Amino acid sequence: MRRYAYFPGCKIAHHLPEHGHSVRAVCAALDIELVSTEFSCCGYPVRHESQDAAVFSALFSLAKAQALGLDLMTPCKCCFGNFQHARHQASMDENLKHRMKKLLRETGLDFPDRVRVFHLLQILDQNRDALLQAVRTPWRGLKVACHYGCHALRPSQITHFDDPLAPTIFERLVTAIGAEPVLWDLRLECCGHPLRGRDDAIAGLLREKKLRGAAASGADVLATACTYCQMQFGHQASRSDIPAVLYPQLLGVALGISPEHLRLSGIFWSAQAGYTR
Amino acid sequence: MDFFSLGLSIASFCALLGAARRVRGWRRWRLSSGRPAVAFSLQGLAAGLADVLLLRRTFRTSRLRWAGHMLVVLGFVPLLVLHAMDGVVTASLFSGYEPTLDPWQMGRNVCGLICLTGLFVLAGHRWRTLSAASGLEDWALLGGIFVIISSGFVLEAAKIAAPGDFERMAEEYLFAPEPEEYDALRAYWAYEHGVRFEDPLPTSAEVLAQGRTVHEDSCAACHAPTATAFVSRALVRVLPRAVVPARSTPRMLWLVHVGSAFLALALLAWGKWMHPLATTANLVFRRGRTHSDGTAPQGLALDACTRCGQCSLHCSVAPSFRVLGNRDILPMEKLADLRAWLAQTDRTTPPALLVEGSHICTECLRCTEICPAGIDLQDLWMRSKGALADAGRAGVDGEIRKRSAAQWAQELARRHVDAFGPSGSGLADRAESFWGCVQCTTCTSVCPVVAVSPDPARDLDLTPQQIMNYLRMGLKAQTLGARMVWSCTTCYKCQEYCPQGVPVADILYELRNLGAEVLRRKEDGA
Repeated sequence: MRRYAYFPGCKIAHHLPEHGHSVRAVCAALDIELVSTEFSCCGYPVRHESQDAAVFSALFSLAKAQALGLDLMTPCKCCFGNFQHARHQASMDENLKHRMKKLLRETGLDFPDRVRVFHLLQILDQNRDALLQAVRTPWRGLKVACHYGCHALRPSQITHFDDPLAPTIFERLVTAIGAEPVLWDLRLECCGHPLRGRDDAIAGLLREKKLRGAAASGADVLATACTYCQMQFGHQASRSDIPAVLYPQLLGVALGISPEHLRLSGIFWSAQAGYTR
Repeated sequence: MDFFSLGLSIASFCALLGAARRVRGWRRWRLSSGRPAVAFSLQGLAAGLADVLLLRRTFRTSRLRWAGHMLVVLGFVPLLVLHAMDGVVTASLFSGYEPTLDPWQMGRNVCGLICLTGLFVLAGHRWRTLSAASGLEDWALLGGIFVIISSGFVLEAAKIAAPGDFERMAEEYLFAPEPEEYDALRAYWAYEHGVRFEDPLPTSAEVLAQGRTVHEDSCAACHAPTATAFVSRALVRVLPRAVVPARSTPRMLWLVHVGSAFLALALLAWGKWMHPLATTANLVFRRGRTHSDGTAPQGLALDACTRCGQCSLHCSVAPSFRVLGNRDILPMEKLADLRAWLAQTDRTTPPALLVEGSHICTECLRCTEICPAGIDLQDLWMRSKGALADAGRAGVDGEIRKRSAAQWAQELARRHVDAFGPSGSGLADRAESFWGCVQCTTCTSVCPVVAVSPDPARDLDLTPQQIMNYLRMGLKAQTLGARMVWSCTTCYKCQEYCPQGVPVADILYELRNLGAEVLRRKEDGA
């Protein structure tokens, strides 16, 4: 059995509770134990304002996970990206590292140089054999556009998530639950959420471009594996938009977990349920 | 009009006036209109009342604070109702009520002791975990109740020990006593009940027996032994043997005891002193919920804060506070400053620290779930972001966008942007960062923002590769206000695809950090 310090990130509790519910449900079904502790913000949201605040926020939570003796797992690509980025910055900049060590000492924590950081998809991919065995109601014929999410993928020499130009992890996991990943030229492009509240016009344009592209690629649904991406595609969706769904929700259905337990929206389920029969 | 009626009238008037002013202010504190209606249900009411009576939310955050607060309430409320208001409550409920009889006399001591214990627990807890965030009103509330309760004990001790009170009661309740009987009673009370007299009194068995008989005939029906006032009587014992309290001492202590109670009543509408009313109302309104539903009245929510500090202790962005030092990043302080801003008649310029704190909040819901006062903080934070933006402050991004790139370039040239030094790791200031740049425009051609923008020259001012070019020529001030810097979506494609390894996206991050720093210094007047 695998155990991880579970880092949900700030937005799940209020803005996207279905992400938290589905992640917990699939991990429970796959015998992946998630250990909860009181984490702080990963630092990604404050990165525009202050490098020190962003790096310290990340290291603070990593140090807490290290104190638990566990590796950290997050279902959010932006949290994942900032954790990796913060450690990289601290390792490249001696002055920064010195400041961070001092701040951590004040809070009674050690510098987190041993703890490893994983995104949910990486953990699921590592357990793909078990996942394949656990699939009970595969999504037969469901065409899925895999939206990768920028902050896990790039900059690749810092995030170490997958090949930045031709990643395959998401498609592997979609195939594992019986669905068909589609060829989609915009799969590695930004969802636009980082510009929400900062430049809503561009954020909206990026979102529309991606939804149009996903629909044109012949997909039935657009799958995300990041809290922010799902907030960008899932909210304010008009009827004509291609539906966006969280990968752990798709996985949960394939594992035989009830759609209510996964907080899958009724509209989505009634439209797509046929693929699982 | 005597001191009591006058004091009570003035204090009640102050309390009512202050409370009315605060409630009137709630209308102006509305952050936005259009709240969902509250659906009344008995279950909701029961959950709210359970939160009030059992302090369930406090129990969830800290058992020790819960125990302390419970003790204060369990001690204080009976004293307030049955002792302070005995003339209207206790006397009418219990025939033959005398404050000097048990269980009342002993009950006062028990309740006072319970309340004091609770106060020490709360003060100790605050000192240990919250001393940095505690202010005058916090310590004053604990101190105020301490003065009321402890002055009550000292007053009772003085009444036991001072001869004046004995003489007054003897005159009132002894019918034409023989001098011998009177002296025997004095001797008995001095020996048995701790009264101090100036003259030495006999302690022989017969005299005490005679005094006891007089006591049982004339006193015992209305006066329990002073030993049952166990705290006050213990205080008398602490007094050196030779000291006889002056006849005026009890009156002076009564003025302190009652005066401090009136002062506390008069201050009922001051800051958190109103929390027994405001927090109670808010808890009933919240109907036991811990998620955010935006139904609680915002004015009431803003006033229900007890400054217990739990939100700030558990805040998700507390690490940012540790680095940036802006107290408005933490919920408890932000709530107070938000309230102060909303109370202003001129709301055009929200304080910069409040705006920064408001924007750094990630809306993680934790403070709302934790708040022992049941305040829907999430709703306040989300609405206040909008209200602050409407008042012309939308964070660093909004401030930068108020001027064009050229205006910023001029402004920063005057203010010597280089004097700010490098931000972040200083990539934008290092020649090495751009050595490899051959202006191949790869960063610009892969940029999704440039691609999606209807008119990049108009909407973005500069493209990524132009920004790199400006920076390598040392024209940092010219890039800082460029829309491209602020509309970067941080996808890192530019950096990933750059054939020469220029950290384009990291440099754009640094420029935004610099913009935030420039605005911070601007506020400080630098």
